[in-house]
Amino acid sequence: MRIFAGMATSASALSAEKLRIDIVAKNVANMNTTRTPEGGPYQRRKVVFSELVEGAARNRFVSLPSRGVGRGVGRGVMASQVVVDDTPPRLVHDPSHPDANAEGFVAMPEINLVNEMVDLITATRAYETNVQVLNASKSMKLRALEIGRG
Amino acid sequence: MTVNINELLHRSLDVAALRQRTIANNVANANTPGFKRSFVSFEEHVQGAMARRSLTARDLQPRLQQDRSTSMREDGNNVSVEHEMVLMAANTVQYQALAQQLSSRLSLLRYVINDGRR
Repeated sequence: MRIFAGMATSASALSAEKLRIDIVAKNVANMNTTRTPEGGPYQRRKVVFSELVEGAARNRFVSLPSRGVGRGVGRGVMASQVVVDDTPPRLVHDPSHPDANAEGFVAMPEINLVNEMVDLITATRAYETNVQVLNASKSMKLRALEIGRG
Repeated sequence: MTVNINELLHRSLDVAALRQRTIANNVANANTPGFKRSFVSFEEHVQGAMARRSLTARDLQPRLQQDRSTSMREDGNNVSVEHEMVLMAANTVQYQALAQQLSSRLSLLRYVINDGRR
């Protein structure tokens, strides 16, 4: 139903920002991981957002008709891809580490905590903002229900 | 052509709802690289048409426009979340005012239908 379109737009952003937070959690949790199923140290993941437009993959929160007033308004955002950051690993000298090479260097994931925290904070703020927009949409819809009453 | 006030209120409510959707979409895409904000223009057209005393049904169509001229960030995104939140607050108040106006017109009608009895 179209009346929920604004809310679905905000919901898509909430889930996209949540994924960004999850990915930050994954990166931070794995900042010292030297073994992965693919072999080698963990590599930083990054989320790529793209706009959901008319005719693109549909918003999974609600299916929207593409006719009438409101045609052409975007449908929100989606996390289109999680990319692997292939920056070479950081070499740390630690001969006692089981994954150390012949020279005693261990390949550690190149994860900058500051970058991750900045990402975390922007994602959290964006999430909060979208919650506010969602609440405003909701209060408008509730107000519309009161038209003609009393 | 004259436009019925109820019709005008109804259209304005639709426009406010559309504007809310547009703002929701702008905020949702505040972190999407290359995204450009959209906005709805309506009141200025109605005002212009009323000044010319030639309000037609065509002036009551909201126009969706995209601002491609600016960039807030290096990635080409031009959404200012602060600006959008201010617009959203104004839009919510406007929606409530319109809904109230429509409600009171309807209750006036009901009063007449009931022959002046409550």
